[in-house]
Amino acid sequence: MSAALSQSTPGVLERELAYYRRECNDLGARLLRLQEEQSQAFREARRSRTVARLIREAYRLADGDLAPEEIGAPILEMIVENVLCDGAALLASDPAAGDGTFRVTHAIGPHLTDALPRLVLPAPPSFFFTTSRTPIEPPAYELTAILRLPYVLWAYDRPTGHALIIGNQSESNVSRPFEAGDQELIEGALSVYIDVLLRKRAEVELRAAKTAAERASQARARFLATLTHELRTPLNAIIGYSEMLAPRSPYQLTEASRDDYAQQILGAGKQLLGLIDGILDYSSIENAVPALAAEWLPAERLLAEAVHMVAGAAQRRDVAIEIGTAVPGLEFLVDPLRFCQVVQNLLGNAVKFSRTHGRVTIGATLAGEGALLSVRDRGIGMRPEDIPRALEPFQQIEGHHARSFGGAGLGLPIAKALTEAHGGTLCIESVPEEGTTVGIRLPAERVRLTIG
Amino acid sequence: MIGVGYAKHSDPATAVKRCVAALGPAPARLLLAFVGGKLDPHAVLAALRRECGEVPIYGGSAAGAIARQGFGYSGFELGLIAFRDEAVTPRALITRLLLPDERVAGAALGDEVRSQVSRDAVVLLLFDSVASSTPLRLHHASSIVDGFHAGFGDAPLHLLGGGLLTDMNLTGGWVYDGAEVVKHAAVALVFPPGIAAETVIMHGCRPVSTFMEITRIEGADVYELDGKPALAVIERMLGLPLGGAKGHELSLMATLGQKQGDPFAPYDENAYVNRLILRAAPETGAVTLFEPDFALGTQVQIMSRDNSLMLESVRRGVAAINSTVAGSANLLGLYIDCAGRGSARSGAPVEEAELVARGLDAGTPFLGFYSGVEVAPFAGGPSKPLDWTGVLTVLRPAAA
Repeated sequence: MSAALSQSTPGVLERELAYYRRECNDLGARLLRLQEEQSQAFREARRSRTVARLIREAYRLADGDLAPEEIGAPILEMIVENVLCDGAALLASDPAAGDGTFRVTHAIGPHLTDALPRLVLPAPPSFFFTTSRTPIEPPAYELTAILRLPYVLWAYDRPTGHALIIGNQSESNVSRPFEAGDQELIEGALSVYIDVLLRKRAEVELRAAKTAAERASQARARFLATLTHELRTPLNAIIGYSEMLAPRSPYQLTEASRDDYAQQILGAGKQLLGLIDGILDYSSIENAVPALAAEWLPAERLLAEAVHMVAGAAQRRDVAIEIGTAVPGLEFLVDPLRFCQVVQNLLGNAVKFSRTHGRVTIGATLAGEGALLSVRDRGIGMRPEDIPRALEPFQQIEGHHARSFGGAGLGLPIAKALTEAHGGTLCIESVPEEGTTVGIRLPAERVRLTIG
Repeated sequence: MIGVGYAKHSDPATAVKRCVAALGPAPARLLLAFVGGKLDPHAVLAALRRECGEVPIYGGSAAGAIARQGFGYSGFELGLIAFRDEAVTPRALITRLLLPDERVAGAALGDEVRSQVSRDAVVLLLFDSVASSTPLRLHHASSIVDGFHAGFGDAPLHLLGGGLLTDMNLTGGWVYDGAEVVKHAAVALVFPPGIAAETVIMHGCRPVSTFMEITRIEGADVYELDGKPALAVIERMLGLPLGGAKGHELSLMATLGQKQGDPFAPYDENAYVNRLILRAAPETGAVTLFEPDFALGTQVQIMSRDNSLMLESVRRGVAAINSTVAGSANLLGLYIDCAGRGSARSGAPVEEAELVARGLDAGTPFLGFYSGVEVAPFAGGPSKPLDWTGVLTVLRPAAA
């Protein structure tokens, strides 16, 4: 409008002012909406990039050294950071605890206690979210209880049994409430976690399989080497003495010599039989957990029987065996044959590695909620680095002194496997030139006191 | 003399360990900590005690932290400033009485500061912004700062500050008062006389309406603009009715701005004091502002956040302060950044905090935090509380 018109027409100035005010406000409103639309579009774009960012960061984790059970926490941290939520949790279904039971494996949030909760969801949805209009009834009731946050977004992968939930304190957290369009985000984040978890588990399994294959290969090599040595010695004795005893032998033997050589052949034959029994025994234990016929046995009787079994060997080596502490009324729920075999193996080793005139002590006491059976010698002992090797089959520890004792090296591996079949653990403490103590810990359910 | 550290981890002990490692081995006389809202404040304090010994620790929660090594608002961030030399270490004065009366508490603090400082002292004021979360009530910065000025008097003062939040959603806030974790407290860190400060305020809002007069107001609740229900006026501008979230989304979109000085002077971002909208009440037609410092008859404009303007303002502000402090032995760059400016909330395509971290003179130790409200010297006058701003200050030795 021209200045001339404004000045010449009464009230025009006021109308012009009102016109410009209206236009200013209308244009301003349009600008405001455009700005908001642009911001909203950017926020949504940012949200939709969340999964891509998660993939990038999570696979960096996958390449790291974390164990499968350790990746949950950093993945949750990434989710919380990228989604900007107040809390998040990973869950795993626990069929052993009942249908629809979930346990929280990892969680971040403001209202969490130290004990991660369990929950029961009879029909877990694959996707769910809550808003202020969601009625508090199943499954909203159960899901909002996980993080103790009212606004949640949930995804569940039925085939793997894993679930992810994120939650907010306020509905318009940062920008807007959860909505159906967030399904892609939560399912994408869960998929990233599951993929990385499965990849980590596969890595662990592969590594374990590789280690097992390497150990098996080493065991085979040691087996052949041991056999060569352990079979050759008694076989040489059998062949040599048999030749001397043969009818047309050029040797002139006395009656006493003949008896002695026959005893040597018998001893070598028994040695071979023992070796073959050991190999078969270990082989059967390694291939399957041995079936146990457990019954309650007094610890004192068990120890006495084992001592009786090795008394001959101890006498030959001039080694004394003492039964130390044995708690009165202490009983073990064990397979009499198999467990006696364990104790006998340990005592046999203790006698074998004791010096002449040495002393071996065996005892059984209560320890924690279970019991501890221990066999102690004051013999040659082992270096710390040799202890794991002593538990490997066909393994003779280093050192001329140790090698001079011979044997297939199956006693301890068999004892360990049979102890574990009883739910127990076998541990060794040893100091070179001071001796070795082997302990067998039995769990509470295999231990009782009948008197006292 | 002043060291900074930054770390991000969901485990408080790990975050502290990494942050302290970033600070370096020299012992601190005072630590200023800005702790992400998802980190347990007590666990962080205990870890700081283990790592740093019995050094006094001030600061508190932050919606996020900003450093050259990284920045974020996930709640797992930790920023530390270590004051190592007596010549740069501030003295801390505290009030724990914000809950009964923020103005009275501010006045007592201002009075105490007056007894300790010389002219042109630099004071950093930190307080927890959220008085209660249900119902949501803020510790109003305008009341605290008004009280502070009343207690302190008219002497020149470089008062900076920030309201401490645990997150962008105003869930909570807390303060380290030197010894423990407290609420309803304000800490004034008074710098020694040898320290001067240069501050720029970076904005990001533009008026999108004509001037409107507040015709009914009670405290922070604005009921009417130009005689019409305030909410209806704003809704008409936005072109959308309020949803079930009772106006939470309003704080993302519009603010009310009061232009200082000549109302008809050309647009100047530095002339506006903006007030964010905390919530709306459809039943009364009112909107509640972050601060209660507008009055009956105040001329305001509806302001739109403008992300490109915000980024331009940051580039301009950083360049200006770099030019001002060039050649001096800068001690610390401190950035107090409104949490709403983070791009997750503002929708800005670029994080303005990153522009500051990268743009500020590389030789100046730098740390920032995301705040609920910012306090800074305004338009050549006394300091004011500001919304939707970034306040960048560089501390340096005062000219002899």
